[in-house]
Amino acid sequence: MPIPYVFDIENLNLFYGDKMALKNINLQIRKNEVTAFIGPSGCGKSTLLRCLNRMNDLIDGCRTEGKIRYAGNNIDDRDFDVIDLRTIVGMVFQKANPFPMSIYDNVAYGPRCQGVKDKHILEGIVKKALTEAALYDEVKDRLRESATSLSGGQQQRLCIARAIAMSPQVILMDEPTSALDPIATAKIEELIKELKKEYTIIIVTHNMQQAARISDRTAFFLLGELVEFAETETLFSHPKNPKTEDYITGRFG
Amino acid sequence: MTSRTQFEQELDNLKLELIKMGDQVVSNIKEGLSSFLTLNIALAEKTIASDQLINEAEHQIQRDCMRVILREQPVAKDLRLIAAILKMITDLERIGDHAADISKMTIKMERIKRPYPIKQFNRMSEASMAMIQKALDAFVQRNLILAEEVINADDEVDALFDETEKTVAEALRKNEIDPDYALYAMMVAKYFERISDHAVNIGEWVIFSITGEHKHNLIF
Repeated sequence: MPIPYVFDIENLNLFYGDKMALKNINLQIRKNEVTAFIGPSGCGKSTLLRCLNRMNDLIDGCRTEGKIRYAGNNIDDRDFDVIDLRTIVGMVFQKANPFPMSIYDNVAYGPRCQGVKDKHILEGIVKKALTEAALYDEVKDRLRESATSLSGGQQQRLCIARAIAMSPQVILMDEPTSALDPIATAKIEELIKELKKEYTIIIVTHNMQQAARISDRTAFFLLGELVEFAETETLFSHPKNPKTEDYITGRFG
Repeated sequence: MTSRTQFEQELDNLKLELIKMGDQVVSNIKEGLSSFLTLNIALAEKTIASDQLINEAEHQIQRDCMRVILREQPVAKDLRLIAAILKMITDLERIGDHAADISKMTIKMERIKRPYPIKQFNRMSEASMAMIQKALDAFVQRNLILAEEVINADDEVDALFDETEKTVAEALRKNEIDPDYALYAMMVAKYFERISDHAVNIGEWVIFSITGEHKHNLIF
């Protein structure tokens, strides 16, 4: 039985102008797993994450070679609509970026853009998304209040709800908790463990203990190359590559 | 070039503490046997008191290991190293207890008029002390071959124990040995046999610290 790869990245090179930022990346992301990208600053992990929903298209002078397949289809194909891609592949950023509108309108924004007008349907989508993001109970009595009145951790969960409201298959997270306090971080980590039952999650993190806590598989990057990719427990106990061991034991980095 | 100089220093200190504990244990074994063979009560009492140093060393190393785990969140080989140290100090502490037990036999023998020379004792003592030192060398050098040698050296001590039993039984049959002495001597032989078993355990934890396998089972 074929292994369900959500993303299949093949011989990917990426250039910012003349600078080669990703070198010959070969990587497969499995469904309903949390995959962590770790590595020192500048190693290419956020660049690779942004390839998966073609955010790099927005950067002048950025070009790629090689293939990225989502569910078997090349996402760079002219036939693959980038808006569809960004619906299927949601993203959450390091700094929560709620829109300057109510909590309700933040979550309803995407579905409304897609043409959903019926109030009852929208309410259902908003409630479900906020519930799945473990935020509904905290905000159910103030859905019309501004999203900016929420705490940092709540805003981040709102951003996750906003992504979930689009019924994605994949959620990309670029250091989602690095701006949050330990309790807010713990809530989001618990949330991620729940979310993977429904979604496939790829998370870039600077925090190796976080990667060890929440991910199923971990990819270690260095200077634009994928050095090692393994089950998290294996990578953190018996890494095959000495560079990986040097990084995770903090002997360099 | 390491980013974790303090952590490296802490690991080096843990290894040093372990070596020092090992040295104290070996010294207590030497003095314990010496006290028994020469019926030296004063030395026996000194050795029993020295066991306290070994117990204190165990507690201190435990504290230091827990602190390093808490503060540094070690992974991979560092975690194996610290876990192995936590296990090895338990075996060293038990060896220390047995060295003290040998001295306690000396004190019991105060009334013995006729000690009987048991030639296996010197060899058992040398062999078991050598096993302990080799195991600790193996640990510091990360040397799998030395660790395996420790595990195999147990056979010699077991054989010497069997020889001792035969020697003592024969001497009893011929009425050449004070029966009380015979019993104390067998206790001492047993303690040496247990000491070398603990040395084997230490060897097995050294292997774990290098490979993650304990007695051929992959642990971490």
